[in-house]
Amino acid sequence: MRTLRRFLFRLANPITRRRDESRLREEIEEHLRLQTAENMRIGMAPDEARRQAVLKFGAVEAFKERYRDQRGLPIVAQTLQDIRYALRSLRRNPGFAAVTILILALGIGATTAVFTVLNASVLSPLRVPNPDELVIVSPRLQGERHIIFNPVFEAIRESQRSLVGMFATSQQPFLRVVMEGETAPSYVRASLVSGDYFSVLELTPALGRLLSERDDVGGSGSCVAVISDSFWKRRFGGDRGALGRNFQVREISCAIVGVTPSSFSGHQAGTATDVWLPLRPLTDSKLLASRSMAFFGGVMGRLRPGVDISQAETELTSLYQRHSQDPSQPEQGRVRATDFGIRLIPGARGLERRQLQELLTLILGCAVAVLLIGTINVAILQVARGATRLRELETRAALGADRLRLLRQVAAEGTVIAGLGGVLGIALAWVVTPAIASVLVPGDVAAGFEMPLAQRVLGMAVMTTTLASLVGALLPAARVSRFNLQVGPASARTMTRPGQRLTRALVVAQFALALSLVTAMGLLLRTVVGLSTLDPGFRPDNVVVLDVRDERSGSSFGVADTPEAKSERGARYAVVEDRLKALPGVQAASLSWLGLFSQQDLLIGLIDRDAPNDRFEAHVDYVSASYFETVGMQIVQGRGFTSQDREGSRRVAVVNEALVRQRFGAVDGLGRQLAQDYKGEDRPFEVVGIVRDSKYNNLRETASRPMIWMPLLQAPFRITSVSLRVQPGMESAVVREAEQTMTSIDPYLMVRQAKTLSAQVSEHLSRERLLFKASWSLGGLALFLAAIGLFGTLAYGVTQRVREMGVRLALGAQSRTLLNMVLAEALRLGVIGLIVGIPLALVVGNSLRGFLFGVAPQDVVTLTGASLVLIVTAFLAAYLPARRASRVDPLTALRYE
Amino acid sequence: VEISLLETNMSDKKDVQQGTLALMVLKTLDVLGTLHGYGIARRIEQISGDLLAVNQGTLYPVLLKLEQEGAIASEWGVSENNRRARFYRLTRAGRKQLQAETRNWEETTALIERFFSLKEEDLQ
Repeated sequence: MRTLRRFLFRLANPITRRRDESRLREEIEEHLRLQTAENMRIGMAPDEARRQAVLKFGAVEAFKERYRDQRGLPIVAQTLQDIRYALRSLRRNPGFAAVTILILALGIGATTAVFTVLNASVLSPLRVPNPDELVIVSPRLQGERHIIFNPVFEAIRESQRSLVGMFATSQQPFLRVVMEGETAPSYVRASLVSGDYFSVLELTPALGRLLSERDDVGGSGSCVAVISDSFWKRRFGGDRGALGRNFQVREISCAIVGVTPSSFSGHQAGTATDVWLPLRPLTDSKLLASRSMAFFGGVMGRLRPGVDISQAETELTSLYQRHSQDPSQPEQGRVRATDFGIRLIPGARGLERRQLQELLTLILGCAVAVLLIGTINVAILQVARGATRLRELETRAALGADRLRLLRQVAAEGTVIAGLGGVLGIALAWVVTPAIASVLVPGDVAAGFEMPLAQRVLGMAVMTTTLASLVGALLPAARVSRFNLQVGPASARTMTRPGQRLTRALVVAQFALALSLVTAMGLLLRTVVGLSTLDPGFRPDNVVVLDVRDERSGSSFGVADTPEAKSERGARYAVVEDRLKALPGVQAASLSWLGLFSQQDLLIGLIDRDAPNDRFEAHVDYVSASYFETVGMQIVQGRGFTSQDREGSRRVAVVNEALVRQRFGAVDGLGRQLAQDYKGEDRPFEVVGIVRDSKYNNLRETASRPMIWMPLLQAPFRITSVSLRVQPGMESAVVREAEQTMTSIDPYLMVRQAKTLSAQVSEHLSRERLLFKASWSLGGLALFLAAIGLFGTLAYGVTQRVREMGVRLALGAQSRTLLNMVLAEALRLGVIGLIVGIPLALVVGNSLRGFLFGVAPQDVVTLTGASLVLIVTAFLAAYLPARRASRVDPLTALRYE
Repeated sequence: VEISLLETNMSDKKDVQQGTLALMVLKTLDVLGTLHGYGIARRIEQISGDLLAVNQGTLYPVLLKLEQEGAIASEWGVSENNRRARFYRLTRAGRKQLQAETRNWEETTALIERFFSLKEEDLQ
């Protein structure tokens, strides 16, 4: 207790010090006066009395020093002194201070912001008890990812023993619901889940109850729902009355029975769910029994305590092999049982979002590289400055400062810089993280994205700051500690250039890192340019695509259509198309089952009537009249569809050149008879038109795929896409009008989203664009920092050699020679940096492989270009120091120091 | 006893000495009440003879330590020659500490005394 009290007093010393100093002085003074008076009383002369008093008191300054040491904690005092000193010396060099702090702040800010997003979207474990026990159940067929059908899933679930439980999930990011008491429908982010979802996740409700097995029963016509805490607060203002409220999902009424804890936002990190609904009541019974159609995506489970992941994998695999054999199928033609397997993937972080993770990891790598370059830069600047301060340090050493103390002072300066840079960087990260998150993670994610400044993020920031401060402080400090005191002030006059080797190595490292970033930038630039100048086979300009849903009939997912429903729908679509065409600003309109770049990958089996045994597949879409005109596909032979191609008229189809090439060879494709390879559907149709090849879903497709289009009115599938070719500038007006028109014809025909076809096409390029943007900004930053580093080194070198240059000039050297000497030095460092950097750049290029298009990871042109950029940068950085070298005045130089 | 032992580099001895001096300060204040630094030095000098005859300044770090520990408190007052001086007094904690240390000191001295008075046969 006493010790603690004393410690606190001493800790507070720096604040109270000034007062205490004067108090001590006063006390000593009074003590001496009293002693002097006493001495005089016993008969001493005043001077002698004073002298004796002082003698008796002892060495005043020594006591003061001891008093001070005791007063405070020497280490604290000294550290504070160091920091004060560092701040003072930074104030004296505001330019140096601002540059270094800014460099670090940029690096730390970029790294922290990217890491925050990465952490929140893919790295954090789910907020459930014991997330490490969770596993993702991933079915495999011949080692490839496969889908699991409900009867198989249920059979495995019933008989397995190694998991506490397993559940299936199906994401419905746009589930259309009508809340009780409201007429306008709205969209919610829903998860359809097995009944034991919450019990396997071991969650407890914040309010009401969660779903249980009893709720997950098919065919009941009603269902219950659990809502998320944030949805509860957003939609119901956190009112307990929300429990018991109903909403309609299609024709089924669902009652809200509970609210999840606020920490839980779903089983997919970074994706927020508003509503959880049981799978079975909302799924058609035929689908539930189907062995060929899957209706759910991810399956997860929780390992039973004591069971390890490989044991569980073995058990589930053998069950999967047993149950995946469909007894209704003939023996031959079945897939061998041993081809099936189950892989268990640790699921603490929920269902993986691998693509995002890969992307964010790459960007994080770039950010770390920038941080590294920035840190190196600080070290270079420190070393350079340390060298120009050599005299100051030597003088202080000569005045008695011990080497440790000097070292600590230099280190303190580095730490102060890193600390300030860190604080500024974290502030920067805090400001830009939401912006980065909204760019990095897709819209539906960002909406429900909570961004807690997690410990891990802070840890990361502190770690980077510490790293920066260590490198920034220790390197120069190590240099200082090496200088030889014996040489003393004389060293400044020698031709040795202490620290040059170190800073050169650092500059080389910077150039190597910068080269790899610039190469990455170049590769991605070529990819993005290549992809956006690619001819997709249609004309996306001035085309608006509406993402629509027609949800009039069918109360559950996947219910089969009746012929009556189909013909009613066909008639309705004909009306919609006519009304849309009549809208002002609309030049052409077309309805389609899928539309372009729908991200659906649908193939139908086809039979050539001339070669009935030879079956083949083609991508298919059902489209209304004038589809090809609307999206700008070129008809090379025959005709497109008209409104005459309807139910009851001659069945027709349009195919693309790839199909003709592959199926009919050189023979003319027009007039060919094809039929669908489908039970009960053998009515032939005739090829009436051939269109030019186009991309189907992705600009990266290299080979053209065989494609076939059939008239929507001859097979009225529910449309999901409406294309409108509009007059330039009319886009938004047309979208508004079209939405109103469609809802007025049929309230169940909902527009979910509207965008231009160009946007639709480039949407899946977003990752490439994003990476390009990231590498562009981070690469630019890296280049800039590397230039500063080189500039610092050269400028320092010139300062060091002013005398030498003066001597040379005096001996008749041309100033040109000196200019060239500095430039040659820059070139040499740059080239070494490139040589070191090329292998690194190749590795970086390789890690980008998956994102590149039309350019090899080891592309020579890109690498050469990047190298040129760096060499030019090196020359630019060298220009000022070189000019300074060439303008050295011999007389001044010889007087210099 | 040389007071120079109080000098810095002999930290082991210094602690003992400082402890002794601290105990003396506490006892002085206990007996005489409130005193300024010079007064304390004078009393200790009177009683201990040469111990504090030189290097009176040593007293001040000890006073500071005791004050930080809360054993004594200080405030400004007026000295004999009508000037501002710092006056020290024992606190309740200091009195307790003094009692504890006195007991401790007595026990130690008793033990040491007995030990010094040991004769060879006592240990056999």
